[in-house]
Amino acid sequence: MSEKWGICHIYASYNNILITLTDLTGAETIAKCTGGMVVKAAKDESSPYAAMRSGEFIADKAREKGISNIHIKVRAPGGNGPISPGPGAQGVIRSLSRAGIRIGRIEDVTPIPHDGTKPKGGKRGRRV
Amino acid sequence: MSIQHGMGASFYIISRIAVQVWPMPFKLKVPQDRIGVLIGKDGETLRQLQDICGTRIEVDSENGEATLYDEETADTYKAFRMRDVIRAIGRGFSPEKAQSLLDDDLYYEEIDIREFSGKSPRRVMQVRARLIGSGGKTRTLVEELTDCFLSIKGNTVAIIGDLEGLRVAKKAITMILQGSEHSSVYSFLERKRKDLKIARWGF
Repeated sequence: MSEKWGICHIYASYNNILITLTDLTGAETIAKCTGGMVVKAAKDESSPYAAMRSGEFIADKAREKGISNIHIKVRAPGGNGPISPGPGAQGVIRSLSRAGIRIGRIEDVTPIPHDGTKPKGGKRGRRV
Repeated sequence: MSIQHGMGASFYIISRIAVQVWPMPFKLKVPQDRIGVLIGKDGETLRQLQDICGTRIEVDSENGEATLYDEETADTYKAFRMRDVIRAIGRGFSPEKAQSLLDDDLYYEEIDIREFSGKSPRRVMQVRARLIGSGGKTRTLVEELTDCFLSIKGNTVAIIGDLEGLRVAKKAITMILQGSEHSSVYSFLERKRKDLKIARWGF
């Protein structure tokens, strides 16, 4: 098989980005990188810059292992939290494709509740 | 060709180990009154969007469902961003403004007014009015001081802006929604203007 495929799982919240590169089954992890690994300030962990750096890191590892094509699964916190991926997701995908990796498909795998639990904060909301 | 062949092969091998479910066509709800805008005159806008992302977009004007078909395209990234574009059009942005999401470093966000005001439609209307201000004063101020675009429609506020501006605009809007006085929100925006300038241009 000339072309190897992998799946890139991206979890983009407002506070951090977690990227895990796996094979097609999703059982074998090939590489992983987080926003906190490439940036030293906690407030920058979810920034597009951290996303770009960690995307490049993943692209390097992928090339090392001979993976040139990647499917992407994007995920936001979901559940009773925000359901749209944070700003990092865009940055990761862009830096991956800029690093010369072919992007196959992009899927949104945010868990959507079919009516689940109550959001945190209690009855009277968040009190500052 | 070779790529699709390679993909098929790998899926075949995989399918014995685990069932791989690949994305179904992506469905989005667009409000009834925005369908016309999404389709455009003689379907022009929709055709333009399809040309950009290379995938088929189908709009059902009966129930207001827009379907993004999942096809192999040259630019999957743009097809992914197209979801936000369609969402933005549904939330009251003009197609031109919504399309700016495709190329620039712009982000899209929605805030649900009901989370702050409660479910009563009358209360939502009052809060919406506070958000817009008399003669649109508040809205234009937030837009100008943060370089964002706002769209206030129904139960949501939608924002298009760059990362820093979006953050400030979101904070300002939540302040108003939580019941802060307008003047304190204005002074907050003025204060943040300096930080925005530093974040964008570095001085």
